[in-house]
Amino acid sequence: MTAPLLDIRAVGKSFPGVRALSALSLAVAAGEVVALVGENGAGKSTLLKILGGDYRLDEGEVRLDGADVSHADPLEARRAGFRLVRQEPEIVPDITVAENVFVGEYPRRRLGLVDFAAMRAEVRARLSRYGFTGMLEADATGRSLSPAQTHLVEILRALQPGVKVVAFDEPTSSLTSDEVERLFALIRRLRSEGLGIIYVSHRLKEVLAISDRIVVLKDGVQTGVLATAATGEDEIVRRMVGRELVHDFHRAETTRAEVVLEVEHLSSRWHRDVSLRIRAGEILGIGGLVGAGRTELAKVIFGALPKSAGTVRLAGRDTDIRAPSDAIAANIGFAPENRKAEGLILVRSVVENAALAVNRRLARAGLLRTATMTAAVGPVIRQLEVRTPSLDQEVGKLSGGNQQKVVLARWLAAGPRLLILDEPTRAVDVGAKAEIYRLIDRLAAEGMAIMVISSEMPELLALSDRIVVMRDGRLSAPVEKRAATEERIVALALGTAADPARTPA
Amino acid sequence: MTVSAPAAAAPLRRLLRFIGPENLSLIIALVLLVAVIASQTEFFFSARNLFNIGQNMAVVGLVAVGMTMVIVSAGLDISVGSIAGCASVVCALIVSQAGSVPGGILGGVAIGLLLGLVNALIINYLRVNAVVATLATFSAFRGIAFLIAPEGRPVGVLNESFALLGSGRFLQIGGFPGIPVAFAILVGVALAGHVVMSSTVFGRQVYSMGGNPAAARLAGINLNRMRLWIYAISGGLSGLAGVIVTARTSSGQPASGTQGLELEAITAVFLGGALLAGGKGTVMGTMLAVLLLAVLSNGMNLLGIPTFYQLVAKGLLLVLAVAIGQWRMAASERRQARITAAGGGV
Repeated sequence: MTAPLLDIRAVGKSFPGVRALSALSLAVAAGEVVALVGENGAGKSTLLKILGGDYRLDEGEVRLDGADVSHADPLEARRAGFRLVRQEPEIVPDITVAENVFVGEYPRRRLGLVDFAAMRAEVRARLSRYGFTGMLEADATGRSLSPAQTHLVEILRALQPGVKVVAFDEPTSSLTSDEVERLFALIRRLRSEGLGIIYVSHRLKEVLAISDRIVVLKDGVQTGVLATAATGEDEIVRRMVGRELVHDFHRAETTRAEVVLEVEHLSSRWHRDVSLRIRAGEILGIGGLVGAGRTELAKVIFGALPKSAGTVRLAGRDTDIRAPSDAIAANIGFAPENRKAEGLILVRSVVENAALAVNRRLARAGLLRTATMTAAVGPVIRQLEVRTPSLDQEVGKLSGGNQQKVVLARWLAAGPRLLILDEPTRAVDVGAKAEIYRLIDRLAAEGMAIMVISSEMPELLALSDRIVVMRDGRLSAPVEKRAATEERIVALALGTAADPARTPA
Repeated sequence: MTVSAPAAAAPLRRLLRFIGPENLSLIIALVLLVAVIASQTEFFFSARNLFNIGQNMAVVGLVAVGMTMVIVSAGLDISVGSIAGCASVVCALIVSQAGSVPGGILGGVAIGLLLGLVNALIINYLRVNAVVATLATFSAFRGIAFLIAPEGRPVGVLNESFALLGSGRFLQIGGFPGIPVAFAILVGVALAGHVVMSSTVFGRQVYSMGGNPAAARLAGINLNRMRLWIYAISGGLSGLAGVIVTARTSSGQPASGTQGLELEAITAVFLGGALLAGGKGTVMGTMLAVLLLAVLSNGMNLLGIPTFYQLVAKGLLLVLAVAIGQWRMAASERRQARITAAGGGV
């Protein structure tokens, strides 16, 4: 057997008070995809950062294609042939895609001038070579990119000549199922070209679909190396959490109650003639591709984006929602997709963030003490089991799952009649995900009307009572829970299925 | 999970909590500075000198309270000194020509509010960045101050009761020189500002919009309306500062006495722990910084250090303050990175 391409031997890393990795050994052969799974905090990011040169290991050794890179800095790690595709890539908003791809490594002409033509040509060549033609324009500015396109830029960055090992960190969290397929095709191609791939993901179905071997981490310790062909989700989850987990979540059928939200013939810059209805206690799932206008629909209903025609009725009454404050006054809650950019005030405390939607209600003559806020939202935060050292902790310092729980706590405290959740479990670990599902289910059982936008098919199918699919700003007819299958939703999203009459959902 | 500190805290701890633990380094710096100055000159602790420090803080302090609000909301108001200049002239004209002291005070504050609103309108509806907008009005408002002053010259005000606002004192007992009226006004305004920022819905919303405007908007906060209030308050307090300058110098000054106020106020707010990015900063921190700056300049005067050096020292102090803030933030981020990398849940 030849020496592995990437050889990690007994690597350990500690931080004050925490052992992040202990004696981790892992080998990636040329032409192999090794998946790395584990809950948040299991040590996956620490390992990736050691490989990328961001962290120094305390003990052990890392060899890349025979060379010792145990103590490489980020530049040396790149030169040795390691590239990391980050989950949330840094994109410079005001320069082009081509410049973003080559940032820091611009090709030069004579006199040291940047060779823009070569850069564009190379980006186009890579796009067509890896099957992404038409998904990205080399001249588009960073600002105009969708999350999926942003991710593609990050992938193009990694595919520099001389790359030997590519690590993907949660690569599919902003992708639709169609885009995931393209990503997988890319990974298979890289594998066939003899690269070593490390694939980090919470999504076990994807891990099972793409990897050759699966390495499971728990609390910095390796708890299993599994051959993908000979294992299944149950075993992986058991090794990840050390307990059986009901990951297939199913809701009971709901009884029909009064209609809470009634949208009729809504049009906007992003939509044409959208109609839908949600009853009390019902969860309406909205499927579709990224960019189909789902997030925009949520924002139009919430008053954050303008509508051009149509009516929105709440509990049978016409509303005139022109700003988020109107929506909140009308008892609507909205947890946006990108919680860091739009959901949370990262530099402020857990309490302040959770109390944001109820501030006015809690105040007496405009006065609002921290103690009043704590008394109001503290129980909700405890009930959601937000893991935080104190309620005064800055929200930016919590983990992804806990941040999402703070956003949910905000709306729980406000007690809306309609709650809109845009990708509620994006970048949330398995354990927190199950908790969030249970919470959404309970809120519906208590009579809240809920709209869930999700690109994760199992999530959409498990949570929704009915599913509507958005494609190019139009909604499909609703698909009842009984009739909903992954194939049917995908077909509607892609427009390959005949959509029966566009009756109001 | 731990929730808030025990109710029966020792008085010292309660005082610290009132001032804010994040301001501890400012207090230490102040104590050190006082120790150095007092070791060089006995006069520092004399009642008359302390009186002077209190008197000198008032004008900058008033402007800095408003500036705290502006900077916490992720804005900036460079026009405060020019607003104070306008207010000074307007106030002097009213007091000297209509003979009404309350009218003059109200007029000065009102013109400040109005000009603050102009700033907010430019930022909101012409979509001009706050720095650029108030840089423009910094120039324009100063011009207006000269235009409304007859022939562009200072307007004399001879009114004894009005002068008390600038140089009056109370509680003058025996050798105790009393408390300057202007300082008392500052204390009142600062306490009000502290309550507004820490314990009102409005204050919470200022922090929220500064920390993340997009999230604040989605949480139902009307950013434009908030800005109208914030810049009006900053303008109104600058107007009040202008009124006090008028009372102190017995003249409405279009420029003298209010030039460079923006620099001093902004310095104090950053020194007091606010972030340029917004979302952080307290009135208490700003006030400690104003005191620190006043003591610094007073001390250097006492030690006979020329004004030019003082300007250099203030500039250095600002750089130092922001650098320390950055360093502390980076350190905390490093700590955090370790914790998240290692433990996930904090």
